[in-house]
Amino acid sequence: MKTLTLVQRFQWSRFFSGEDLGDEPALLNHRRIFILPSRRGLGFMVLLLLLLLIAFVYNNNLTYMLTFLLASVFFITILHSFKALAGLIVRPGQSPSVFAGEAAAFEIYLENPGDRPRFNLHLTLSDTAVMNLAANSKAGIRLTSKTTHRGWHHCGTVTLSSTFPLGLFRVWSPLRFNLKTLVYPKPSVQELPFPMSPDDASTQGATRQGVDDFYGLQEYQKGDSIKHIHWQAYAKGQGLISRRYSGEQGAALWLTYDATHAQSLEERLSQLCRWVLDAEKAGVHYGLVLPGFKASPGLGLAHRNKCLKALALF
Amino acid sequence: MVTEISKNNLIFLLSAIGLIALPHVKHIAPTVFAFFCLMLTWRFAGVWRPRWLPNKALLFVLTLAGIFLLYSQHQGILGRDAGTRLFMTALALKLLEIKQQRDLYLIVYLTFIVAASQFLYEQNIFMAVYILLTCGVLLATLISLNNTKQDNVLALKTAGVIIVQALPIAIALFMLFPRVEAPRWMVFKDPHQARSGLGDSMEPGSISRLGLSDERVFRVKFAGALPPKNQRYWRGPVLAYTDGKHWKQTQSRFADARRDKIKAQGRAYQYTIMLEPQDKNWVFALDMPTHFADDLSMNANYQLTTHKDPNRRTEYRMTSRLDYNTGEITPDEYRENLQLPKAPIDKIIALVQRLKGFDTAPETFIQALMQHFRQEDFHYTLMPPLMEDKPIETFLFEKRLGFCGHYASAFVYLMRVAHIPARVVTGYQGGEFNQVGKFLEIRQAHAHAWAEVWLQNRGWVRIDPTTAIAPERVEQNVDIEQQIASGAVSFIESDAAQALSWLGDVRQLWGSLDYSWQRWVINYNSANQARFLSSFGIETLRQMLYWLMAIVAFITALLSWLLLRGKNNNTDKVLIVYQRFCRKLGKIGLRRKPGEGAVDFACRIKRACPEHAPAVDVITGLFVKLRYGRHPTQNDWLKLKKQVALFKP
Repeated sequence: MKTLTLVQRFQWSRFFSGEDLGDEPALLNHRRIFILPSRRGLGFMVLLLLLLLIAFVYNNNLTYMLTFLLASVFFITILHSFKALAGLIVRPGQSPSVFAGEAAAFEIYLENPGDRPRFNLHLTLSDTAVMNLAANSKAGIRLTSKTTHRGWHHCGTVTLSSTFPLGLFRVWSPLRFNLKTLVYPKPSVQELPFPMSPDDASTQGATRQGVDDFYGLQEYQKGDSIKHIHWQAYAKGQGLISRRYSGEQGAALWLTYDATHAQSLEERLSQLCRWVLDAEKAGVHYGLVLPGFKASPGLGLAHRNKCLKALALF
Repeated sequence: MVTEISKNNLIFLLSAIGLIALPHVKHIAPTVFAFFCLMLTWRFAGVWRPRWLPNKALLFVLTLAGIFLLYSQHQGILGRDAGTRLFMTALALKLLEIKQQRDLYLIVYLTFIVAASQFLYEQNIFMAVYILLTCGVLLATLISLNNTKQDNVLALKTAGVIIVQALPIAIALFMLFPRVEAPRWMVFKDPHQARSGLGDSMEPGSISRLGLSDERVFRVKFAGALPPKNQRYWRGPVLAYTDGKHWKQTQSRFADARRDKIKAQGRAYQYTIMLEPQDKNWVFALDMPTHFADDLSMNANYQLTTHKDPNRRTEYRMTSRLDYNTGEITPDEYRENLQLPKAPIDKIIALVQRLKGFDTAPETFIQALMQHFRQEDFHYTLMPPLMEDKPIETFLFEKRLGFCGHYASAFVYLMRVAHIPARVVTGYQGGEFNQVGKFLEIRQAHAHAWAEVWLQNRGWVRIDPTTAIAPERVEQNVDIEQQIASGAVSFIESDAAQALSWLGDVRQLWGSLDYSWQRWVINYNSANQARFLSSFGIETLRQMLYWLMAIVAFITALLSWLLLRGKNNNTDKVLIVYQRFCRKLGKIGLRRKPGEGAVDFACRIKRACPEHAPAVDVITGLFVKLRYGRHPTQNDWLKLKKQVALFKP
């Protein structure tokens, strides 16, 4: 957990969007916790003024006492509000990649190392999750945020807040972790046929049908589709053996940027994304060619993610 | 944010509201209280049967009904009673319209105002404790609103803790917050019930009626010794005019002018008198007051009156001397104090003549008259027979039964017949001494009437004819309880006798507690505050504010330390020691990566510097056991500390 320089401590951005925490866990202390009266707290102040006025007009000492007691309660609540968050440790977690338009999910882990349970903790990103945390316990929570564009989607500021105990103060801590998730282009809804390979245009159609032509068995290699594993052989204890099909041989499917016929860049990427997913589903070896990027044909999750990442960041 | 309001929260809140509003059943109009109860019950029913709650149209009708109810009381919205009614009605109506959390907060705030309004009616210790407790419950409802985990016991506990922590600052504020009295225009006059007490006039039986009341009139605390028992005369209205039956005050035309003429000597008794609320602006002072506060003034009859609102319990400080000479009498005064309704009957003239009223010195006549009361068949009773017609003559020659009023008026009458200026003084005599609080408590039963005679070279001299017939009346205390119970006058031997019974002890203890409460809490006004604070050397407003800030800062610092100091629980301690171990390794360039487990880190260290392997293994093993193990022992903890201390990379 890092310390801040004096200049950093007084930056306004810390107040509004929180300090940049990177990947490190954040221990909530007096530097990271902010407290201001809530709207109800402002209402309470009006109540105090009214009570003071009553006490003054009627010169009534017990009303003065009640007013001072409530004012003191209001004041003491600042400490209790601070206690509601102080000492908590917040860690950033994982965030799986999503396609544009889907909600990105960010995992945040909360740890309460103290002996006191914490109540009414609100974690806010675009929506709010409410939780209680028992003493000496940890909890993970998944916050979602809507995505619209491909590329890196930054989590931004996660706000941990609470109104415990009286609701008169809101205590909060803006946390800006280096939490980001890769957003792939939105797969096109149009189901266009795979493009013809530029070098093997004539066989393209045959290859397409040839996917199902069984060719022979081969020892399993990394990247082989799970669908092609010869499970019967595996069950007999012969090890992992993949079935080979004629279509895969030599004639890999090349998904190229130029093969897309869409107008805009985004539509083209969207179409490529669709093809990558379809090819993966069909178990066809595919390669991806983008201006400045080339992925040699392959199959499997790692290959798919590599291609999608290239599309996302293009 | 619209949050679902749980049943539990509602029941908790409604109960707290019911408790806080309950004492108003004694104070406010029954119709308003009934309206409030109806709404509260309705709302309670709505907790289980939400469909029963009124819709918008019905709510509007109810609001109109509430407004009509307030209007029918014909007292506007200002003032104590009207304000209380307004807030009670508003709270009642708001109860039926709970939609969001925001509404609950508004209701809680309204309830706090209703709680404060209780103090405008009653300011005793019970009410204070009751409201303190119920406000705690109200705060607890706020806590349970802010806790998704519905735990009422925890909420009450937290509220209790917060209130206890808030008390020191509240008390500091109470003592040091500058008290300023509200300007007169801001003080709303409310009709109040008539109180019993001494009246403007005295008629037969008026004082004996008071003798049956143990209602407190005032309490006196002396700075030093108390005056002798037979000198404790508390001067009230002076009655000089008589129509033969009633005695009345005359207009005081020479206000204040008389005061300087008093020549007083002897011991000065300094005391503080706390007057209970009363209708008249009279202040009862020990005969004869010589120094008193500016808010008091003395009329021509040496009676003190206050400029303050007598409806409030007020404290006054003054000094009296028992030995005084009022000096010369003015011609007007002389005339006034010889006034007789009509020529006395022959029988009276004969009596005065027999007692040598016309031809001896006044002193001799007074002695003779006192002797007459003592020797003839006169009796002292609280229940004298009715003497409607010609009360003085009937009393002197027929019944010969009477209370102090009868003796005083007969005495003054006879003095006037003998051409000696005389008048009736009413007030209180004696008082009950509270052993615990060391103060005198004067009740209505101590009401008394005596005579004052003007004598050459001595001025106005107090003569109490009652002492001739019942010297115990002034020598001892009136046993009030006995007197009220039996309707007859009875006296008790001494204060000590009273203190013997434990009941008396409890009564005195309570009386003392109540007196302190009244003096230091209820009556802590600007004057008292200034006096109290100046005993600490705090004189100016600026000093007050500085002290207030200093005290609040100190208490806050103390509380912050108490609340926020890191409670070193075991896990923390272990972590701190382990971090010390990590820092030692950091010096040789081995840093634990974020997210790296202790065991993984240990492996890395062992690879980097195998010579430390045994020590690292022991420390890591102990750390893992203490932090994650099921049954770590104190021994493990000590061992870890020692190992880390010994570790030298």
